[in-house]
Amino acid sequence: MTVEATTEAAPVPKRGMNILFGLTLLGLLLFLWLVLGFATNSFWTPNNISNLLRQGAMTAILAVGQTFVIITAGIDLSVGAVVGFASVAVAWLLAAGVPLWLAMIITLLIGVLIGAFHAFGIVRMGLPAFIITLATLTSLRGIGLLITNGSTISITNEAFTNFSRADFLGVPSLFWMVIVVAIPAYVFLHLSRWGRYLFAVGSNSEAARLSGVNVNRTIYLAYILSSTCAAFVGLLLASRIGIGNATQAEGWELQAIASSVIGGTSLFGAVGSVQGPLLGAFILATINNGANLLNVNSFWQRIITGALIIIIVYFDQLRRRGSR
Amino acid sequence: MTGLYDVSHRHEEGAATVARHPVPKGQPILELRGLQKKYGAVEALKPASLTFLCGEIHAIVGENGAGKSTLIKLLTGVIRRTSGEVFWCGQPVQLSNPTEAIARGINAVHQEVVLCPHLSVAANMFLGDEMNNNGLMRKGAMTAAAQAVLNDLGFNLPAAATLSSLTIGQQQLVATARAAMRGTQFLIFDEPTAYLTRQESAQLFRLIRRLQGEGVTIVYISHRMEEVFELADRVSVLRDGTHVGTRKISETNDAELIALMINRTIEQIYHKETLPIGATILETRGLTGPGFEDVSLSVRAGEIVGLYGLIGAGRSEFALGLYGRQPVRSGEIYWQGKKVEIRNERQAMNLGIALAPESRRDQGLCLNLPIGLNINLPVFDRLTSGFTINRRREIDNADRQIRDLKIKTPTRRVLASAMSGGNQQKIVIGKWLSHGAKLFIFDEPTVGVDVGTKAEIYRLFARLLEQGAGIILISSYLPEVYELADRLHVFRQGKLVASHGYRGGSHEDVLTQAIGV
Repeated sequence: MTVEATTEAAPVPKRGMNILFGLTLLGLLLFLWLVLGFATNSFWTPNNISNLLRQGAMTAILAVGQTFVIITAGIDLSVGAVVGFASVAVAWLLAAGVPLWLAMIITLLIGVLIGAFHAFGIVRMGLPAFIITLATLTSLRGIGLLITNGSTISITNEAFTNFSRADFLGVPSLFWMVIVVAIPAYVFLHLSRWGRYLFAVGSNSEAARLSGVNVNRTIYLAYILSSTCAAFVGLLLASRIGIGNATQAEGWELQAIASSVIGGTSLFGAVGSVQGPLLGAFILATINNGANLLNVNSFWQRIITGALIIIIVYFDQLRRRGSR
Repeated sequence: MTGLYDVSHRHEEGAATVARHPVPKGQPILELRGLQKKYGAVEALKPASLTFLCGEIHAIVGENGAGKSTLIKLLTGVIRRTSGEVFWCGQPVQLSNPTEAIARGINAVHQEVVLCPHLSVAANMFLGDEMNNNGLMRKGAMTAAAQAVLNDLGFNLPAAATLSSLTIGQQQLVATARAAMRGTQFLIFDEPTAYLTRQESAQLFRLIRRLQGEGVTIVYISHRMEEVFELADRVSVLRDGTHVGTRKISETNDAELIALMINRTIEQIYHKETLPIGATILETRGLTGPGFEDVSLSVRAGEIVGLYGLIGAGRSEFALGLYGRQPVRSGEIYWQGKKVEIRNERQAMNLGIALAPESRRDQGLCLNLPIGLNINLPVFDRLTSGFTINRRREIDNADRQIRDLKIKTPTRRVLASAMSGGNQQKIVIGKWLSHGAKLFIFDEPTVGVDVGTKAEIYRLFARLLEQGAGIILISSYLPEVYELADRLHVFRQGKLVASHGYRGGSHEDVLTQAIGV
């Protein structure tokens, strides 16, 4: 038989659907912006848009890192705590007189180490990802509080704190950081073999192993990337609020997971992209921003976020079932 | 009467029960008229008219993708029909959901066991229908009742054991016992013997005949012709979604059925060419590891070395040890005359060993990923230039395997899970063809694969041998290894217990050595 002869004998290819889903999310985001533009006077002001981009930027970077882990069918609950801890680390290092560049590198390396520790727990100790990252979630907050003795460390380095307020080409520098992370992340996940290995491990780690994929190394890679992204966000947060505080970024891990899931990542692994969590993060940021502008009780924002997760993931499920 | 065994409390509570003989034996119990199923524009089952007679064993044969699974899903209410009518005992019925099908007494035993692995055998048999005492489970009573059923069926299985501690074959028997225990009028078996040993198959056949004796109508789906001829009263053939004919078993033969199934005649399924045997590729000396002990054998270029034995006899374990998946405790491996150590899969691959593992689902494929990614998985390092994958080479490699192996798919982007068993097996093989190896280990390559694909796979073996490769063929299906292997080694309890030349020894000899009686 020829390939052409069987063209209609199998289900619809997947890629078209993925693009469609991406467009749907983009459509939703634009729709929200349009509606908020009509409903409020202040939405389309440069100030608010900058603010929105800043708000969304940090969640977006966390969500990209988180997505790597979720694609391997894992989860990283520690990212919020890592952000807080990294803010303490950089503030402490700067207060101790360490040069800025070195303080930033050390903070990022701490992220690498935390990720490696997660992978170690999963690969060598056989712990579920949920457990090991839950353990570091609580421990890191504790260590951070111990270092600061429960208070905050102020950051006096002006160059560092000015960064988050700066614009480049009229766009907030924090948003530029999203691009700085997203482009390599896209190349890594979608264009390199390491990305393919993440998907393979998430789909069936035994099949990946028997195909010569170094499964352990792939898991290390995923968790290190996630924690490093989180440490990077910790730097951005420290720059934005000018302090190091271990209790910052409370609940951001859930924001990151929600963004990733809204962006089409499957918690069962092997399904996900880089653009999805980015859109998810900015959809969440827009909802929060819009709710503030519309004077909606902030408690409602949480409810709306929850409802949105259910609706979007439900439709995603329908789409997947449809393509079977 | 709720079935073979009246151990269900349903009866005591007077819940809906089914009549023993809804229609007289030999009268139509289930009649399909123009039953059709379309997925979008794709016609998975073209309008089919089929009649099942009460108390018969009705076999259904066809290649993978012929529409057998679709038919089962329609009958068990898993999917809804697009058009056509279904009559149950002469009455039109919808069969729009599984509950309705089960309430009418239509049950299915699937090829893949769909039970809860962490529960006990008894708990699985009573799942959803537990014996209880004011809401509290009567665990002891259920275990005893389940054990009584298992003993009576002649299944030597412990009812208190956790399901996952049993072999896949034994789990299949549990699934069957479960169906037999419940109110079943009409029982569908979907390739039930794919993972069974010969003894287990024999037990299953006895049960099927017994159910038939009780008036249960059996639909038996299988790739194995000899089973069809052993069991069935009538046989229906599906091809490309079309019902192409129904025959009385006494009025047909292998050749006719195969011709109906594939629309061409196979003069020889077991395609065997005698090739010159070359140098030794691999030799093991006293290889010992988890599940296998003191295995010494060799493979030469151009030959197929068959490993036969019951499931769990150490053949697959040996293959995994050789491949570096399981640690080897002692013994030596010589690769083309040089002593080597294989500590991980990558080392095995780099030497030139390829493994198409036993379970496509658990070891062979990333099911929810595209076919192309699966095919390329072992060779991404070679498709990479710089940091990124060379898109052109990636696409070309996947498309070439799809074309060469005739994998039935419109594009490489279709998910592996959407493929039939035979096509999935081709994907697993395709992975290793693009890798290019000197020694191919095929572990149960034709389980759940139709006759046409089988023949293709065997021809592929010949092609690999011609290119100077050696093959280790592991199979539980004796005719396959017997007809194909240049040398046949028999495994029992982790040890290599006997060896034969090409077609050496009789089937009975080999079997006796494997079972050890």
